[in-house]
Amino acid sequence: MIEFLEGNDAVVRASVDAGCRFFAGYPITPATSILTGMMRALPDVGGVAVQAEDEIASIGMCIGAAMTGMKAMTATSGPGLSLYSENIGLAIMGETPLVIVDVQREGPATGSATKGADGDIQFLRWGTSGGLPVIVLAPENVLECYTLTIQAFNLAERFRSPVFLATQKEVGLTRERLDIDEARALAPAVLARPVAAPDAAYVPHAFSVPDEVTPMSPIGGPHLVRYTTSMHDERALLTKDTGTISRMLDHFTRKITDHADEIALYEHDPADGADTLVVAYGVTGRAAREAVARARATGRKVSLLVLKTLFPVPEAAITAAMAGVRRVVVPETNLGQYVVEVRRLAGDREVVAVNKMNTDLLSPGEIVREGGLL
Amino acid sequence: MSTDTVETCGGESCTPSYLLQETMPYPFCPGCGHIKIAGFIDQGLQALGLPPERVVVVTDIGCVGLTDKHFGTNAFHGLHGRSITYASGIKLADPDLKVVVIMGDGGTGIGGGHLLAAARRNIGLTVIVANNFNYGMTGGQHSATTPTGAITSTTFKGNLEMPLDLMGTLLPTKPGFLARTSVFADDAVQLVTQAIASDGFSLIDIWDLCVAYYAGQNPISRDSIGQMMEDLQMPAGIHHQGTRPEFARAWRELYHPDEVADEEGMCLLPPEKGLAPVATADLKKRVGILIAGSAGQKIRSIATLLGAGAILSGLHATQKDDYPITVRTGHSAAEVIVSPEPIVYTGIEVPDVVLILSVDGLIHVKKQLHTYPPETRVYIDSALGEIDTPARVVRLPLAEAAKTVHRLAIGAVGLGAILTAEGFYPREAFETAARRLQKAKVADTNIAGFAAGVGLGGR
Repeated sequence: MIEFLEGNDAVVRASVDAGCRFFAGYPITPATSILTGMMRALPDVGGVAVQAEDEIASIGMCIGAAMTGMKAMTATSGPGLSLYSENIGLAIMGETPLVIVDVQREGPATGSATKGADGDIQFLRWGTSGGLPVIVLAPENVLECYTLTIQAFNLAERFRSPVFLATQKEVGLTRERLDIDEARALAPAVLARPVAAPDAAYVPHAFSVPDEVTPMSPIGGPHLVRYTTSMHDERALLTKDTGTISRMLDHFTRKITDHADEIALYEHDPADGADTLVVAYGVTGRAAREAVARARATGRKVSLLVLKTLFPVPEAAITAAMAGVRRVVVPETNLGQYVVEVRRLAGDREVVAVNKMNTDLLSPGEIVREGGLL
Repeated sequence: MSTDTVETCGGESCTPSYLLQETMPYPFCPGCGHIKIAGFIDQGLQALGLPPERVVVVTDIGCVGLTDKHFGTNAFHGLHGRSITYASGIKLADPDLKVVVIMGDGGTGIGGGHLLAAARRNIGLTVIVANNFNYGMTGGQHSATTPTGAITSTTFKGNLEMPLDLMGTLLPTKPGFLARTSVFADDAVQLVTQAIASDGFSLIDIWDLCVAYYAGQNPISRDSIGQMMEDLQMPAGIHHQGTRPEFARAWRELYHPDEVADEEGMCLLPPEKGLAPVATADLKKRVGILIAGSAGQKIRSIATLLGAGAILSGLHATQKDDYPITVRTGHSAAEVIVSPEPIVYTGIEVPDVVLILSVDGLIHVKKQLHTYPPETRVYIDSALGEIDTPARVVRLPLAEAAKTVHRLAIGAVGLGAILTAEGFYPREAFETAARRLQKAKVADTNIAGFAAGVGLGGR
């Protein structure tokens, strides 16, 4: 079925299709239509969606519900993401699968409520204490709001981790033609939650090698389930043993970083003999595509890498795409955030950051001019 | 589970204790009231004979937050003040679980908003407050319930704040059960049992001794706790028993359809809103259209119809809106791109067509007017006067024409004029878009407005 849908609508559709059956959120522009959309959509499939008293409760409820076996999602924007912070850490500590949609607005603080930016990118990565890795995906368009939401749920289940969908006003509230049947065909197959064998003993954080992720047993199910916010061992019992702490942190880290290549999603459009590579993501990826097309039309040899996975950083893909080029242009709708990751991989290549965060879209013309693509 | 638990009585009908021997002893100071509170909860659970796998003990932060590991039930230890949020999520997801929250007085302060919200909802949690008037774990700082004048490490010259009366605060929410007691009271087990048995939100405020800090610096003891309640006008006993429906079940009853079609199913789609092509267009290249008007002029809806009509003509379309955070005041603008090719960049660097419908709209585009090239066509309501721009200006009596239909049809009038003059796609596609996406009466208005605009477009 063909529709004229906003990115937020596509997130709602995808989450239901992915098996999400719990949503809690708090109204905030430009993410509110995910809350209202979920409240309309979830009852039809036996799910539950509530407006919580604040963002802290929103994510807290989602974590509780997720531990009973439901796939859960919450959605917010910058100010709400700030309030999610401590519970993002809890989801990491408790290895809770959770999808968090950040429909970014220009910030800081209340910022420009109805205007977009990609100002939360490093905040998503480093948004809670302790510095452990999380997964961040960034859709460019309404279609990817669908396909990457499905992927976000799959990754959350696969790695028992919070997974962020970094959209923004210019994606979430932009309407586009979407053929939902086509989107469903393009999306990855839905991964059901791996569940622990009911007749065997259950150890909630068991692993035999550091990157192993153990299936979950739902609270209320066949096993007694323990969960804790504090540093714990495999049984979720508090520990002060430094060896155990090291092992658990290694597990939380490596279950994600060892699988960076598996998580990496990107589109590489190389040009033979290119001297310049443009690396972009999100809605800026669309301007970058147009900018590269214009540069190529003038005879410039420019390669393009559009990242869908931002964290863990797809280092192999970025490094491979940089082979042979001497300049890397990184346009971002912020003051220069992901360019930090590109720069550390760029060696002695010239890295040009093209930045704008005045609530206008970064345009192809600006990328061409400021990125030196003429 | 019986192998993990401690037998506390010998009779055959007796439910075994829910306390785990393997995690004993408690990490609490000798004489700490938390030990007694854990026992009250155990006895309450035993009295009700609940299966341990259907019980969840959710704890907050503070010394009493260490209690959950001693229970042979499901156990969830969360962040400070947030225990009620996790418990609420658990209850909402599985309403038949018995969810017991154990928190300190500290949690009632930092998590006060959650406490109020949970009580207002009457969500089926039992909140046990181990109220010892200070933060024991961090060294005896004052809390939300510390009495006025009390000495703590952060009120060392006396507390200036009024203590939170949990009963008085929660009473107006009329939840399932509210009671106050103390760790020394004979009725404590009975009240805890009643609280756990309650169907809706229940809270029991158990006054407790922090032997490490608060009790050492303030006049509180087993014998004086009753007098302290009297002095503070916070009496013991049952303060409320209510019959409001429990929230998690009530939500399902209200919002779930009589029969949930397919719990594993996909998102239900509104097929009547599908936009499979009904017409063809011979548009050769991408066109960027900027519609600028006032909030309340239905700018966003009309822009959606413009884009939907394009899709119904086999074209691609995008729409992005621009408006202030206020609702019925100020400008409202929309950028619509229609294109025979998939649309890459969603911005409009130079608009091909601009439609100005009001003074707010004119103010919104004013700074850009001088940048528009001669190829750009600006359609403007003639009542708005002359404008200075290199673009080609088409002045039309849009508002006047709209008056013959409806004041809010001005956008449709504008689109009728533009589509007639520019010929992006056939009129029938616009009409189908209105019929598919809007309520019949609104669609009628827009179709009539569009027709009025078609009449203007020929001028």
